[in-house]
Amino acid sequence: MGRKLHKGLREILEQKKGPIVEKWREQIHKSYPPETAQFLKREKDRFSNPIGSSIEESIWPLYDQLIGEADPLTTKKLLDNLVRIRAVQDFSPASAVQVIFALKLIIRREVFGVVEKRGWIKEYLEFESEIDRFGLLAFDVFMECREKVWEIKRNDLMKRPYLLSGGMCPSYMMKRGIKHLEKLKKEITQH
Amino acid sequence: MTKELTPQEMLRIDLTPPNRDWMDIPTVIKPGIYCYPAKPEKVEIVGMPNPHVWSPLDDDWGLPDDWKETFLNGMRERLNKHRSFKIFMDICVRCGACADKCHFFLGSGDPKNMPVARAELIRSIYRGEFTRAGRILGRLAGGRKLTEDVLKEIWYYMFQCTECRRCSLFCPYGIDTAEVTIIGRELINLFGLNINWIQEPVANCYETGNHLGLLPHTFKQNVEFMCMDIEEFVGINIEPPFNRKGAEILFVTPSGDVFAEPGIYTLMGYLMLFEHLGLDYTWSTYASEGGNFGFFTALDMAQRLNAKIYAEAKRLGVKWILGGECGHMWRVVHQYMNTFNGPPDFLEEPVSPITGTRFENASSAKMVHISEFTADLIKHGKLKLNPKRNDHLKVTYHDSCNPSRGMGLFEEPRYIIKNVCNNFYEMPENTIREQTFCCGSGAGLNAGENMELRLRGGLPRANAVKYVHERYGVNMLSCVCAIDRAVLPASMEYWVPEVNVCGVSELVGNALVMEGEHERPTDLRGEEIPGFAKAESEEVTKDV
Repeated sequence: MGRKLHKGLREILEQKKGPIVEKWREQIHKSYPPETAQFLKREKDRFSNPIGSSIEESIWPLYDQLIGEADPLTTKKLLDNLVRIRAVQDFSPASAVQVIFALKLIIRREVFGVVEKRGWIKEYLEFESEIDRFGLLAFDVFMECREKVWEIKRNDLMKRPYLLSGGMCPSYMMKRGIKHLEKLKKEITQH
Repeated sequence: MTKELTPQEMLRIDLTPPNRDWMDIPTVIKPGIYCYPAKPEKVEIVGMPNPHVWSPLDDDWGLPDDWKETFLNGMRERLNKHRSFKIFMDICVRCGACADKCHFFLGSGDPKNMPVARAELIRSIYRGEFTRAGRILGRLAGGRKLTEDVLKEIWYYMFQCTECRRCSLFCPYGIDTAEVTIIGRELINLFGLNINWIQEPVANCYETGNHLGLLPHTFKQNVEFMCMDIEEFVGINIEPPFNRKGAEILFVTPSGDVFAEPGIYTLMGYLMLFEHLGLDYTWSTYASEGGNFGFFTALDMAQRLNAKIYAEAKRLGVKWILGGECGHMWRVVHQYMNTFNGPPDFLEEPVSPITGTRFENASSAKMVHISEFTADLIKHGKLKLNPKRNDHLKVTYHDSCNPSRGMGLFEEPRYIIKNVCNNFYEMPENTIREQTFCCGSGAGLNAGENMELRLRGGLPRANAVKYVHERYGVNMLSCVCAIDRAVLPASMEYWVPEVNVCGVSELVGNALVMEGEHERPTDLRGEEIPGFAKAESEEVTKDV
């Protein structure tokens, strides 16, 4: 998405991939209450631990995208996998996407010493801007998810107008109601 | 319980929640998670206590002055009445075997949604108010006193359990946390604190016989609309019998099948099947609901609503009852009906008039599941089927919680699907049969306002669907439950939008070759079947 990463910096980030992503995973787990964080770490089965497995399946390739030449569609799909779940959980929007920005501090702690020594500060700041871009893209994904939740909510209510109106005849809804439903949708969109 | 954030709190984007004892973590009631409160008039209709207007976000919930006494007396009464409840309060050793088995915990990450913790909300009151150790030692013995905040917390989490019983499968002591929820909800109902999505169907069912309050003529009209569609798509004119005295069989199904997509296509499947067989049966516009939201309110309310089924069977003079694709209806039928309102000695042990099969498993309640009935027909070669009509579908099967864990219905729906579809793929072993994951919206939580909760709860199921979608291209999730059919489309739309939802009888209807049918280029939804345009009539049919 952004510029091509400085070769030396990229080599260091590749070498440190293991510890960085593991710390990142731990940080994301810890965004849940302690009992949950333990479970997310412990349970390896994909179907017994959907949150943990989606984190695991997202963060490694996301890191590759970050230090490689990121493909926007792939990156967005991976971010979706990470953020879609958080978008319906007990997180504020900031907390939901902060897991991306958290990567900055983790990487700084791992590599900044070397970066400073070799004088790659400018290159490193450019790399951090790439993390920002990932974070902003994550916010796009978060909003898409929230919009989808509201769309589903709206559709759910639109399907049930007899309850909203306190007793519209369902049989009326059945046959003639499709047109009625479209009209209602149109009215709501207009207002 | 809830409050606005201060500016300082707003800036604190904390990645690590505090590590404190669960009793010290206050519960914050959030929109998107709870359902709207019951309308007073709907509480009043069935004569339940304290009908009033209130909001979960208000400090004052309009509790009567003696609410605490009422709660504790109600709890004492139930501890004496239900031996199981008393045992479940006493024997849990908090081993944690159930902790990570709940779809709400797996989808929300909220530790209070661990079944052990949810039950602990009530168990702590039991210890704190009813046991000597708890009264003296308090928190040291895991006890606490009942306060308004505690009551609100119990309310919030009793409506974050779908009574699916997956956790009970893993408990080494056999504790059924769903029963703790059932009692918890009964206690909540002592002060008029039900949710409207449960209370209104209860009131409607009590007044008119079904959750939607469909009056007899409307119910009949809706079924007839489906007949019009069948005539259009299949070319067969069906005139279903209603309230016909002297019929051999009474057919009862959830009213969701009568009006809601995609349940209506399942209903078309039933109608076609019965017509094809020339079955001597009747619909009833009075026992027009298989579901029983009374079961999510209080057991005596479940009993009152359930009574109409046997009463109607008696009035019409039928021999036995056939039940449609429903979830909790089957738990009530299988585990409660006979003692609620039976034994129904006026009925006979069900025997299929087509195959002569005696349904000994239903000899007590006298009610047979449509999947048992259909599977038996297929086994005896009584149906002419063309599974190619379902070839555009790659189907998986979601075991609905109640038919699977509540009555052991595993093989029949699969047997049917394998005979009416050529592409069937199972989801992973630890997500089906006894271990099936709930749709996330059962037990009366299928409202719209609690969508975030529903989507959280639906994640484990959707996660397994996503797997078979990605691996095999599955595009249809079949099930035998009306709530599943109503709620899984929303869950799929969020988690796996490529997958649709249907009932098993819809697949049967699509594949069923009926005498006198015209060319059928479309399925029961009126959608074109690929490869079945006009020249399709020469398709090979499969006799089974």
